[in-house]
Amino acid sequence: MRSIFRHVAGSGTGLLGLVLVVAIVFAAVTAPWISPYDPDRLDVLHRFAGMSGAHWLGTDHLGRDLLSRLLHGASVAMAVSLLAIAVALSVGTVLGALAAYLPSGQERVILVLFDIISSFPSLVLALVVVAVFGPSTVNVILIVAVTLMPQFGRVARAQVLSVKSAPFLEAEILLGAGWARIFLRHLLPNIAGPLIVLASVEVPVVITVEAGLSFIGLGVRPPLASWGTLIYDGYSYLSDSPLPVVASCITLSLATLGFTLFGEALRDAVDPKRSSVR
Amino acid sequence: MTTLIDVQNVSMLYDGRVRALDGISLALRAREIVGLVGESGSGKTTLCRVMMGLVRPTGGDVIVDGTTRLIDMLRRDRLAYRRRAQMLQQDALASLSPRMRLRDQLAEPIAIHGMDKAQGWARVLDLLTRMGLSHGILDKYPHQISGGQARRVAVARALVLAPSVIVADEPTAGLDVSVQGDLLNLLLDLQAELGLTYLVASHNLNVIRRISDRIVVMYLGQIVEQGPTDEVFARPAHPYTAALLSTNPVVDPARRRPRIVLEGEIPSVVNPPPGCRFHTRCPQVQDRCRVDVPALRLNEGREVRCHFPLA
Amino acid sequence: MTAPLLEIRDLHLRAATQRGSAHILRGINLDIGAGRIVGVVGESGSGKSSLALCLLRLLPSNITELSGRMTMAGTELLGLPEAQFAAWRGGRIAMIFQDPMTALNPVFSIGTQLVDVARRRFPALDTKAARARAEAMLGRVGIADPGLRMGAYPHQLSGGMRQRVMIAMALLVQPDLLLADEPTTALDATVEAQIVGLFESLRADFSGSILFISHHLGLVAQLCDDVVVMYGGTVVETGPVGSVCADPRHPYTAALLACELEDAPAENDGSGRLMSIPGDVPDPVVTQAGCVFAPRCALAEAPCEMPQVLRRAPDGRQVACWKAVS
Repeated sequence: MRSIFRHVAGSGTGLLGLVLVVAIVFAAVTAPWISPYDPDRLDVLHRFAGMSGAHWLGTDHLGRDLLSRLLHGASVAMAVSLLAIAVALSVGTVLGALAAYLPSGQERVILVLFDIISSFPSLVLALVVVAVFGPSTVNVILIVAVTLMPQFGRVARAQVLSVKSAPFLEAEILLGAGWARIFLRHLLPNIAGPLIVLASVEVPVVITVEAGLSFIGLGVRPPLASWGTLIYDGYSYLSDSPLPVVASCITLSLATLGFTLFGEALRDAVDPKRSSVR
Repeated sequence: MTTLIDVQNVSMLYDGRVRALDGISLALRAREIVGLVGESGSGKTTLCRVMMGLVRPTGGDVIVDGTTRLIDMLRRDRLAYRRRAQMLQQDALASLSPRMRLRDQLAEPIAIHGMDKAQGWARVLDLLTRMGLSHGILDKYPHQISGGQARRVAVARALVLAPSVIVADEPTAGLDVSVQGDLLNLLLDLQAELGLTYLVASHNLNVIRRISDRIVVMYLGQIVEQGPTDEVFARPAHPYTAALLSTNPVVDPARRRPRIVLEGEIPSVVNPPPGCRFHTRCPQVQDRCRVDVPALRLNEGREVRCHFPLA
Repeated sequence: MTAPLLEIRDLHLRAATQRGSAHILRGINLDIGAGRIVGVVGESGSGKSSLALCLLRLLPSNITELSGRMTMAGTELLGLPEAQFAAWRGGRIAMIFQDPMTALNPVFSIGTQLVDVARRRFPALDTKAARARAEAMLGRVGIADPGLRMGAYPHQLSGGMRQRVMIAMALLVQPDLLLADEPTTALDATVEAQIVGLFESLRADFSGSILFISHHLGLVAQLCDDVVVMYGGTVVETGPVGSVCADPRHPYTAALLACELEDAPAENDGSGRLMSIPGDVPDPVVTQAGCVFAPRCALAEAPCEMPQVLRRAPDGRQVACWKAVS
């Protein structure tokens, strides 16, 4: 664990990623306390305010404090990505492990399900879900979770296949352990590494998907501050003030960049073939 | 002597054509050590796995204590058979969970079987001492210990449940001769003290000769000869046994057997030869062997599958 | 005894590891007689395989020291520039590995590989002549239908056949020294016997020396002329295999022999106990001042704290133990 941390922090890009990730997670967790203003407080008199001591990043078209909204946007982005990935990870792992253990006929059913989901355009899926249930944060999470699930499922299946006939699992059967014990205590810890790495690599993807869906009005609904809605609002009033768009886009880019660099460094640190420097 | 595990006419067919085991019958009697020898494809490991209920045979039955079918026993009470019989797997190091400290691995049988924690753990510590392992090893992970230590830890883990039968698949594989004696002494001591019964599968004929009471020779999924170890080593009756024993290299020239070099390779189990399975390599082959399948016949206290036994 | 083919003097090998500098070979002294089959035995970690890799100068990148002398036919091998040594490797020195699959190229037929090897060694040979030689050699190592087998790919052959192909390949270059590192360990008993038989029959028409590395003392006793007993990166005893096995002079050799079970029934041994050597092989990272075996030696005394060097007895045998000499 410590060596993985050292490896991630040791490379320049990994360290940059780590710093950005820590900053964003910190912002997301502490947003209600560190925000200078209530993100939804209207102050129409001061709309489109520029950068100042009172409003570090200015205000938007309704006079809301942009910095506060960006900080709260981080909470939304983090909550959506963590929940979506958690759902995709757990469902994918269970289905993938199941596929690895089931006889080939039933295994194929699961694999075809994975293929169908991954070949289905996620935007169309989003439109269908929104058309039926209406836009909401929960729907964003579900859409993202479903589209990501096959990736986790395939990795989990490959990992399980590679360890399933390992003598140490057989040893547990010989001791009389039940399947739940074998799965949770012995199989899971030995397949977790690549799944965790995949999860960290998927965070920036989810952030951009959430922002994208929110931007086109299929995701998080105003007035809740999401980076996607912030960009949309700023975009509508671009001629009045470019600041909201620029600030939101830079924040989004930094977040994506941070998680991408961090995820890649983590992948390299865990993959024994890449980590030549021990 | 009571029969603990009785393998009755067991066959194992993979994909409908790979004959890993073909009509194996083998009775494991209380307190005896049975040696199982054979080359790759002989079915040694598969037989061990069938006896441990890891794979279900496609034909025949394994009877426990003369009354219960192994499959029924496992279905009714999985844990009961596990307390009765344990296995030492071929690769001891790989049989330990790689991301778990040895302390937790050795506690597994206690937890799984709901044993009294204090009593169970006292037993673990006692076993470790007996294996000559310091208790400091408990805090290590498998990759931090040597192959010999891993063997001992695996033996200790198997013995926590106080089984009466131990199936050992290649227990000395990968050990230097300088340490294999320790392990074999340990297995023999445990047998004497706890009244254990062993089935030891090994390709090391010297080990088998030294520790087993009875030897079972397998070739291409069949038993070709079985009998008391000393007699089989002194006068092998099956030509394959004779050849196998003769290839065993020994240091002392006085002990060397004239080497019988078999022609050709071990045939594939997918397409075993007709007639006697050994006829393609047998130095004494006759026309009858190519068509007639020899039965395993009792011949002066041992069983031999040959039309023209040597002894 | 004729002049040795190869003389190794004070060969040291050190490698950088995570735990510090590992002293893998701690001053090897060894003569390999011309035309002799020399067995090298020892526990895992004794440095047997490293010795073979030194002879081929095929060493991993973490080696920090390779010093001493390896003289073969008047040439100092360690001093040769790599470009010149390349002609020796696979030429006058050839090697057979434990796993032939790692040494054979899976995408070329064995015929192609054999012809390549032969032509690389003897550039004057045309393809047709090289093919004929390769085919003859396959027949020589006991492969039936050599003409047909020339077209086979490595994966189409069994383990025993592949090892025969490796031996054919090694013999094609007519080496002066053939290194065989556990060549039969991966094979089944009856196939191993075939390969051992093949080695024995090679004596008739192979004039070079063979260095046969094995953990199996019985095999070495049966096949080799001389034996070299290695321990902790040193040679502790050498001599003709028969006399060393009958009358071991180094306590380690004696202990190793006592551990052999020797196809003997249990009753023949008084106590019924099986022998072992207590303790562990020396850690290459730890510097050893005295005899390398002293920590495990049942006969260790005060003089064992002094370094022990190989000393030659009047009968030509060499032992690195003061007790054996005095």
